[in-house]
Amino acid sequence: MARIELKSLTHRYASSRKETSSFAIENLDISWEDGTANALLGPSGCGKTTLLNIISGLIRPTGGSVLFDGVEVNERPTRDRHIAQVFQFPVVYDTMTVFDNLAFPLRNQGIEGKTVNARVREIMEILELDTLANTKTRHLNPAEKQIVSLGRGIVRKDTVAVLLDEPLTVIDPVLKLDLRRKLKLVQQELRLTMIYVTHDQHEALTFADHVTIIRDGAIVQSATPEELFLYPRTPFVGYFIGSPGMNTIRCEKVSDRLKIVDSELELPDEIAHKASHLNGTIELGIRPEFVETSPDEKPNWNRFTVRMVDHAGAYQVLTLESGSLRIKARVEDHSSSREGDSLWINTPHDRTNVYEDGELVTL
Amino acid sequence: MLRNLCLELEAGSFVALLGPTGSGKTTLLRILAGIEKPESGQVFYDGVDVTSLPVQEREIAFVYQQFVNYPSMSLFDNIASPLVVGKEKHSKKEIRKKVMEVAELLGLVEILNHLPEEVSGGQRQRCAIARALIKQARFIFLDEPLANLDYKLREELRTELKQIFKDRDGVVLYATPEPIDALTMATHVAFLHEGNVLQYGPALDVYRNPSHTAVASYFCHPQMNLFPCRVESRDGGYLLRASQELAFEVGLNRDALPNDHYLLGIRPHHLFLSDPQNRMIPFHSTVELAEVVGSNTELHLRHGEIRMSLLMQRVEQFPVGKELTSYIDPNHLYVFNKETGAFVTRTSNRSE
Repeated sequence: MARIELKSLTHRYASSRKETSSFAIENLDISWEDGTANALLGPSGCGKTTLLNIISGLIRPTGGSVLFDGVEVNERPTRDRHIAQVFQFPVVYDTMTVFDNLAFPLRNQGIEGKTVNARVREIMEILELDTLANTKTRHLNPAEKQIVSLGRGIVRKDTVAVLLDEPLTVIDPVLKLDLRRKLKLVQQELRLTMIYVTHDQHEALTFADHVTIIRDGAIVQSATPEELFLYPRTPFVGYFIGSPGMNTIRCEKVSDRLKIVDSELELPDEIAHKASHLNGTIELGIRPEFVETSPDEKPNWNRFTVRMVDHAGAYQVLTLESGSLRIKARVEDHSSSREGDSLWINTPHDRTNVYEDGELVTL
Repeated sequence: MLRNLCLELEAGSFVALLGPTGSGKTTLLRILAGIEKPESGQVFYDGVDVTSLPVQEREIAFVYQQFVNYPSMSLFDNIASPLVVGKEKHSKKEIRKKVMEVAELLGLVEILNHLPEEVSGGQRQRCAIARALIKQARFIFLDEPLANLDYKLREELRTELKQIFKDRDGVVLYATPEPIDALTMATHVAFLHEGNVLQYGPALDVYRNPSHTAVASYFCHPQMNLFPCRVESRDGGYLLRASQELAFEVGLNRDALPNDHYLLGIRPHHLFLSDPQNRMIPFHSTVELAEVVGSNTELHLRHGEIRMSLLMQRVEQFPVGKELTSYIDPNHLYVFNKETGAFVTRTSNRSE
């Protein structure tokens, strides 16, 4: 496995019929460390599949470099890059057994029978495929076939990285959990460099230790799932990650003091202080799960009215209103707040993110 | 296939037909709407037998999973179409007024001039819903309308739909396989299982008081944990034993429960990783997978042969194979009959 880097990567597409603007990746810098579980997360059309194709060599970027362990590989053809790929649809030889499917890439290299058998057995054990060794893959369910697809990619010891493009797409919901578990287990055990591309944040955050969010060909944020959750770099990330998304509160400076737009509410001193030196457009971000609520009045807490109560089984989501300001708070499943009730709210300053001109301000 | 189904739905209710794929919810929905005819039995609207009335003559609205819109008409014309082709005559001014009202409600005002293919999936589905609303039909049927939308959109539309369908006079019927849809939007839930309505009632009642393991485990988000357990009476209480390690005493809401094997149910959010008040039941577990779902982490654990899910209300990662001590909150256990799956009793509990 290797460390994969994209440096100053630039790529232009001719626009397809459906898109209204031409597509571009501009000066992208990403690195994926050796032996790590990574995800590229973004909506359809954001450029993530293009990036995979650039790494595998299917597409030559118009500018910038692709590096494997520091060595530029732009000129290297796909077959010499030793990149394993798992696609939406399993790629297996239906008429061959699981064993033969896994042995195929090694036999192709002319490797000696005994070595091939030992290696295949090793991989089958890790992938929990040993009981299916002599089964023809056409009898396997899609999830099992995907594992075989993965196995074929990693059976060669010179595999540099494994790229997965929405691998769970055709998998039945019931089988998804086990496949997710296996992918994560295999990555952990074999220390594979894996890059998992998806539009589904659930997939990305479950699989990866490191997630890169892409939008319109540019990186929005690259971080661990916990960081994305606690410190989203932009209000968009805050909204996109987490359910419900982060509350965004617009603020403005009124005679040098930070105030919430269109609201009489006072900001807690610590927060007003945090943002006092900023000059651009200010927004505050706080996740519904960090908003503190109390049915009784508390000093320095603000009064809101409950507008909506949404049950979610393990918890409830309350939509709270004060003037034109609306925020959501997450409360316990047995909360008895009703529409129209008053609730006192606190937004702890250590859970409140400050954004200036759309970017997280770190203090 | 549906069997001997009897349902009485009240005016003003939003009824979720909840069940897994193949449980019969879509068939039931289509029969109630008049798109399909039942082999036997009757359907009444406001006391009138409409069983033989073809769907075109019923005043209903149906929203499909596949955002059905007329591709060559603008969203405006799509939304207006039920008024234009309907039996009643409406003036252009009236039509415009009604379209704008509904478009406003569904956030479509700015794109009314666009064609369906020019707008996003979410907007197309909103358009289909707008078309269903504009007729102000007394009965509205929706067949998994959010199924083909991505995660964030589903989340938004759920709360929107709840508001949109509030305070209506007729009945809204919504078929879905997602418990969260039923919990968020519905006033009532009909739980379908293999062609039968296993339980029907106010949504939160059905959720909190499931009559059967099928309802308990499915109508729970994530699914309720169910595993075999031996129950034996002890002075004043009962001893529950699920494994060598997992054995403990609780009070149950039932006297003289026969000593036997039962199924024990506990919701994922009643399992914990710590026990600050020292009142819960500890057990060893191994992490199979930590799934990040929204703002939560669903921890899939294994305790010997027993597999359980623990819901953490934050985002945290765990390596596969990690060993840890988990805790069961004994105040929230359900006991079900092992053979029939019927609800038997639960732990005596002061809260809830």
